[in-house]
Amino acid sequence: MSGVASDTWIVGLGEARTAPLLDDVSINELAWEAVAPALGEAGVALAEVTGAVTASQDFWDGRTISSMNVNEVACGAYGSEAKVAADCAQAIGYACARIDDGDQHLNVVVAHAKESEGDAHTIELAAFDPYYERQIDPDETIVAAFQASLLYARGGASAERCARIVAAARARSTVLEPVSVEDVLASAQTATPLRVLDRAPLMDTAAAMVICCGDRRLKLDRPAVRIVGTATRTGAYWRERADLAAIPQAAEALREALERADWGRGDIDIVELAAPFAHQHMMLGEALGLGSGDGLVERFERGEINQSGGWLAGSAGSVAGLRAVLAATRRLRDGDGRRALICATSGLAAQSHHVVLLEAGV
Amino acid sequence: MSHGAVRAAIVATGQTDHGRRFDVSMAEIAREAIDRCLASRGLALEDVDAVVAGNMEMFEGIYLVDQLYVGALGALGKPLYKLNTGGTVGASVALACYHLVAAGRHRRVLGVGFQKQSEGSTQAAITTVGDPIWERAVMAGAIGNFASMASTYIAESGVTPEQAAKVAVKARRNACLNPHAHLKMPDITVEEVLASEMLAYPIHRLDMCPASDGACAIVMAAEDAVAALADRPAWVHAVATAHDQQYMGDSPKRLAVMRSLQAASRKAYAHAGIEDPLRDFDVAEVYEPATYAELAMCENLGFCPMGGGGKLIDDGVTLIDGPLPVNPSGGVLSTNPVGATAMIRVAEAAMQVMGEAGAHQIPDVTRALATGYGGNAWTDVMILSAERPK
Repeated sequence: MSGVASDTWIVGLGEARTAPLLDDVSINELAWEAVAPALGEAGVALAEVTGAVTASQDFWDGRTISSMNVNEVACGAYGSEAKVAADCAQAIGYACARIDDGDQHLNVVVAHAKESEGDAHTIELAAFDPYYERQIDPDETIVAAFQASLLYARGGASAERCARIVAAARARSTVLEPVSVEDVLASAQTATPLRVLDRAPLMDTAAAMVICCGDRRLKLDRPAVRIVGTATRTGAYWRERADLAAIPQAAEALREALERADWGRGDIDIVELAAPFAHQHMMLGEALGLGSGDGLVERFERGEINQSGGWLAGSAGSVAGLRAVLAATRRLRDGDGRRALICATSGLAAQSHHVVLLEAGV
Repeated sequence: MSHGAVRAAIVATGQTDHGRRFDVSMAEIAREAIDRCLASRGLALEDVDAVVAGNMEMFEGIYLVDQLYVGALGALGKPLYKLNTGGTVGASVALACYHLVAAGRHRRVLGVGFQKQSEGSTQAAITTVGDPIWERAVMAGAIGNFASMASTYIAESGVTPEQAAKVAVKARRNACLNPHAHLKMPDITVEEVLASEMLAYPIHRLDMCPASDGACAIVMAAEDAVAALADRPAWVHAVATAHDQQYMGDSPKRLAVMRSLQAASRKAYAHAGIEDPLRDFDVAEVYEPATYAELAMCENLGFCPMGGGGKLIDDGVTLIDGPLPVNPSGGVLSTNPVGATAMIRVAEAAMQVMGEAGAHQIPDVTRALATGYGGNAWTDVMILSAERPK
């Protein structure tokens, strides 16, 4: 279905602190750190919020129905909350649908992760086929390493180019120390050819935004950015892919979102990509037609892509896509561009892709 | 809510034969429901624009289960949403299917809920719903929660164990008419229920739902796709969601006064023009994990005055041949594959509207109610009708 642009507007943004360990707050306190400023920016009270769409993972929270941790702070008791178990960029698409069909008019979108509370290897191991794969003790880094090996063998991407992407991200980070290309290449090997710094470190954080329908936006009279199009696509499970280093679903998601927004590729002037591994940034960049090889890396270095630094600069699973949307929204509000593309990945070896297109308010 | 850009209807449903299914894997059980759903209308996976999946993944211990089984779910290369809202999840999936169609995102959306409880420890996983410090030790799992809530409900309403047992009898006898149901007990009696093992006062074993393996699927279609798929579709007239507070101690009368169910149902009633639910609905499929829960839910849904749940079952109002049959399918008390359970409520309500419920079909159904329940009294409500919304 094409040509159905969303009439959903972002009217408030909020981010919690981001750190490897935030043991001074519970999960709902962490979420409130993000929701409270978002409500404040929007100029609305929690009691006015009619619903929420949240993003989090039960396994990372160690709790069945992980959104029970946050639904009171997202939309109050007796609000209408739904939880998406994926990157929050997908939750944004669902939240827009709930507003566009008239069911909701003022919603909070919130994502949280306290990655310090889980054991990453144990959790990621649970994502593998229980009969055929778990015995060899894989995790997300190992399949990402298979993927990077394939990618490097083809040329275009290399360990050095990926290290430059990491260095560019860390140079813009507000929570992580800068690193040089040499630092990345000299960091400990995790699974050949990947090194520790090729992967975004685990973090505790949360992010939130307040969205509303067009009518409500006019009444709020706040700086607003429109979510013009969203799309999501899922590829095959990593072992079943003919080409583990190809992600055609990202391009397909972008095509659908552009069609919905009635935009061309040339209309975009802000790009934020969210992926946990450096080489996946090169895969995404190529799949989305943003460049390849040195030229693509230079775009990261110049800040044309991921001016915020992205996930590699400090974020967390479920949250990274929303933080990318927040970063792009701030730039649009500041007049630093008219149109923005955000693409976030989730799943093993970048299996799912979630695209959000934003336009500065008029 | 409004009906947005596009009106939407459920045009197809499919269920597995629920029970202990050692003959199939998780992927196969999900696909069994999908295949039955699509085949019922001559549809193929290519006809589906997007997929919404529901499963409580800590039950079987598979993280990112939708990504692992993307092929079985028929979602390869398509939009695939994974929702995760506890016992409610199947209904949350159905609501998501509706929103994605009503907002004009997609024309035909496949919703699927699946669970294979025989491959995990549901009790252990549900225990993690509670706060790790304050709740897990004292209200572990579904039985502990419902024992606590039912005790309060008895004190508040005066409902008796015999009245609760009548719900168990109704459910398991109705299940005998449902080819997909798990627990079929044609000769069950009130005495048998009361004599069954006491799990946690006042909950006897036969007061509780079983742990089932199973899956359920629906196809939600946009108005311009409906006519080609179903002669008598189940149009969505209203949807609503509400959740209660996180901590049980903050809503101590959670079963006696189900504020989330009241909030969600009243919102949906207002939108669908329901003034007298007992009169205006022809059938209801409610998510009753325990006998006492069905009685309390009937009160909170407005089928009778508050405190009148016991009399409602005594009077036979909710029997399959009563004025408002509740759970003619046998309900959750007969079949409970958690990730699918609330979707089964929606699918069964749709089947009643479409006239496709077979031996447990209620005559002349025009309007049906389905609910989902889980987690912190999380409630989903969907109202379906044979009449196209205005």
